[in-house]
Amino acid sequence: MQNISKKRTSYQLINKKVPYLFILPWIIGFLVFTLGPLIFSLIMSFFNWPITSEPTFVGIENYKTMFTQDPQFYKSIIITFKFAAIFVPLNLAIALILALLITQPLKGMKFFRTIFYLPAVVSGVAISIIWGWIFNSEYGILNYILSLIGVEGPMWLVDPKWAIFTIVIASAWGVGIMMLIFYTNIKGIPTELYEAAAIDGAGPLRQFFSITIPSITPTILFNVITSVIGALQQLALVLLLTGGGPLKSTYFYGLYVYNNAFKHHQLGYASANAWFMFIVVLLLTMVIFKTSSTWVFYENEVKKEGKKGRRKK
Amino acid sequence: MKLVKFKAILVLFIAAILLLAGCSSSSSGDKTSDGKVKLRFATWDVGDDVSLQQDMIDKFNEANENIEVVLEAYGSEYDTKITAGMGAKDAPDIMYMWNYPQYKDALEPLDSYIEKEGAEYKDNFYETLWNYNSADGQILGLPVGYTTHVVYYNKAIFDEAGVDYPKSGWTWEDLQETAKKISNKDSKVSGFAFSGKPDPYDFEMFLWGNNTSYVDKDGNLNGNLNSKQSVEVFEMFQNMAKDGSAIPTEGSGSQEMKSGKVAMFVYGAWGLTPLKEAGIDYGVVELPSFKGGKSVSILSSSGVSISKNSEHKEEAFEFLKFWTNEEANKERIGFELPVLKSVVESEQLEQDPVKSVFYSMLEKSDGYTPASFIVEDWSKVSENLTQTFESIFNPSTLQNPKEALDSAVE
Amino acid sequence: MKMPKGFKIITFSLLGLFSLYFISPFVWVVLSALKTETEVFSYPPKIFPEVLQWKNFVDAWNSQPFGVYLKNSVIVTVLTTIGQLLSCSLVAYGFARYNFKYKNALFILMLATMMIPWDVTMIPLYMEFNMLGWINTLKPLVIPAFFGSAYYIFLLRQFLMSIPKDLENAARIDGANEFQIFFKIFVPIMKAPLILIAVLNILSVWNDYLGPLIYLQDQSKYTLALGLAAFKGVHDLQILPIMSITLVMIIPPVVIFLIAQKYIVDGISGSVK
Repeated sequence: MQNISKKRTSYQLINKKVPYLFILPWIIGFLVFTLGPLIFSLIMSFFNWPITSEPTFVGIENYKTMFTQDPQFYKSIIITFKFAAIFVPLNLAIALILALLITQPLKGMKFFRTIFYLPAVVSGVAISIIWGWIFNSEYGILNYILSLIGVEGPMWLVDPKWAIFTIVIASAWGVGIMMLIFYTNIKGIPTELYEAAAIDGAGPLRQFFSITIPSITPTILFNVITSVIGALQQLALVLLLTGGGPLKSTYFYGLYVYNNAFKHHQLGYASANAWFMFIVVLLLTMVIFKTSSTWVFYENEVKKEGKKGRRKK
Repeated sequence: MKLVKFKAILVLFIAAILLLAGCSSSSSGDKTSDGKVKLRFATWDVGDDVSLQQDMIDKFNEANENIEVVLEAYGSEYDTKITAGMGAKDAPDIMYMWNYPQYKDALEPLDSYIEKEGAEYKDNFYETLWNYNSADGQILGLPVGYTTHVVYYNKAIFDEAGVDYPKSGWTWEDLQETAKKISNKDSKVSGFAFSGKPDPYDFEMFLWGNNTSYVDKDGNLNGNLNSKQSVEVFEMFQNMAKDGSAIPTEGSGSQEMKSGKVAMFVYGAWGLTPLKEAGIDYGVVELPSFKGGKSVSILSSSGVSISKNSEHKEEAFEFLKFWTNEEANKERIGFELPVLKSVVESEQLEQDPVKSVFYSMLEKSDGYTPASFIVEDWSKVSENLTQTFESIFNPSTLQNPKEALDSAVE
Repeated sequence: MKMPKGFKIITFSLLGLFSLYFISPFVWVVLSALKTETEVFSYPPKIFPEVLQWKNFVDAWNSQPFGVYLKNSVIVTVLTTIGQLLSCSLVAYGFARYNFKYKNALFILMLATMMIPWDVTMIPLYMEFNMLGWINTLKPLVIPAFFGSAYYIFLLRQFLMSIPKDLENAARIDGANEFQIFFKIFVPIMKAPLILIAVLNILSVWNDYLGPLIYLQDQSKYTLALGLAAFKGVHDLQILPIMSITLVMIIPPVVIFLIAQKYIVDGISGSVK
């Protein structure tokens, strides 16, 4: 016994430095590649920088303009959050459903897995072209097919009411990545748990809610946070597919910042925009993280009682 | 202790990376390894066009022992790339350019260079083009190519409908009548297509045709953009969309034209090759004129400019001269309309049934200054105008032009 | 495991429905890539090409030095994947299995790096790479990967958090040092998520074109994704080359996925016992 406790203390002594050694690569990377540009952009947010000429200091002018004189700022925020509110839950649900489907022990699953994954492989440039083609209201394929069955299709990318859904449909096409993350996690749940539950008489639905869901809560948290970040920063698709239109109905915040920087050449102003969103997303993430302690179960943090039931053999 | 080993591996790992980083700066810099001056040249062109440009550059490099030009092709992301380069003070030495008002501060004024070449040199370029390659009274680029806008028409559709091909000297009323005759809901044929989200830069030519413009000399929108003549123009296009003789398109309209279901649309010389490749048998004709107005087009011109931060401006100008000389104009003839009078003459382009149309539009379009050269923050104004125009032409809104334009000038 | 018949039917009809949504745009790409220009744009749309235009692929491939691009893409993809696997596994392990001072603050800071809008840090980063002399080399695309990416670290940490704590304590009592514990016990356990990360990284690096666009200059350095984007001009969209190169480009990631999915399945179920 004494021997063990002695070892423990010696391990605790090293322990203080060891964790930092493990995370050292990231710390170096952060200091070298991230911190500098980050501070630079923060400083620039207090400057007027037209890119083609030298920056001039303007104090908090950029922030003042943004909050008090730029209606597009608020409009873009509202549109972006609306998109995120539709997209995040929908995407999570589809990813989870697909992941569950492809874990079923049925024939042909490998084929379906590949199909669901396939769109995620297509490069962004091609994706925007494909969807632009499909959704063209006059001569697009989708409305042609609808016309064959006697339906007059909506003006997907022309009608502001439809455009945001069109973007949702097109972005959800890349759900394969999230599906794969869920899938990997679900596959890692020990089959013994299900077998035990089946013996207790639990049906598939019960098993899903009492075994699958609790086991994958850490990945759910991951997917929630990353897809919130992704949705609030959505740029590529609107930039290439709609350009923010029709009538600015898809003029997301990401595009707003991008255009301020690269179209209007107001890099200082764009930095102020970016920093505002950065803070918002950061706070949002912290809130999600805080609440996660009530619904995410980590095996290495589980209290004594819970541990017994969910311990692996 | 084994931990020491672990530390050692980590340290080694990081050291290796930093070392990799350290011994690297050989490839960049403005001199090549053999002591030549290296010039970076950025183009926005794509496909075969780039291959041709590379061939021409190879010729230049062969003929010039002490200069090596390296081509960089960025396609549709051109602006993002050169903007980033300018911001980081690492812009290419030579750049294709059209939006001079926006980039003027980063470009080298070329007047003194051109002067040295003599008046005859300068006079061989079409005069109008110099205006489009300048900003604030300084020439910032040598003209490489240009296009005016013309009406493309699909011959097959006209033949099928038994309607005569349009002729120069026609009016917008003629166009509307023709479009109405040709449009057919059942076979999904549209008589005319125009962009439902037009680039305000391009659209201004229609206002010019009706004797007005977005702004006056001092850049005021009020009284100009919302003038009676201007409203007329917008009403005309909107009415065509309303009565079904025209469709407002999501893009420029070229995709719709390629479907073979659109009889006419307004476009630049960009359409010449792609439409042919898509198997459309087309003709081109001058823009129609307005009643009591004119047939006039805006120019989309491209030039080559030198970065203000370039360390080899003399050599860069040598290349600019090469890039715009007679031979180069002839080489590019399949991709760009020549900008030198001598080449147009020697190649007999005035007799070409298609290309001559662009030149006659060019002659008619002298003496107009686009609003983008007058208004200080054009890119912002342009963004607002785009939205206004879209609200007028978008089928789900079709806002009253007068009201829309009135609110836009505020 | 037996499955009720009704359940099976529901499963397959759902699979079918989703497949339609995921595969039909894709089928359209395949068919289009094999058409002539006229057929591609014609309306009403022609479903099948009259003659399969296999030469579209050859033409597109030869129109730019795609062999060189392929080489560059492979270099970048392989090196970044190695870099990410090495660095992310270490860092995620550090965050997931230890308690240390400022851990939460550092972790939040790391998450924050995912939220930095790219537009405004890109130019200063460009300046930094330029000072290092990395512009127009593959280094800006490769080297940062050796310092981990927040996305993968976070993902891996979530997996590692789900492994019972007694695992390493038992090993420690047996006298194993921290490095041995990480390498001998945890690396094998992490096999499935590490393969997942490799797949995800290959995918995103393979298709990334903003990074290459900004940091590369002449064609000899381009990657496939950048070559693909170069078919898109301001006025000219070269549809056939775009479609055919897109199809060629998806082959490697799909093959890797097919191989990897076997290990993702085998990996975990065999390891944590």
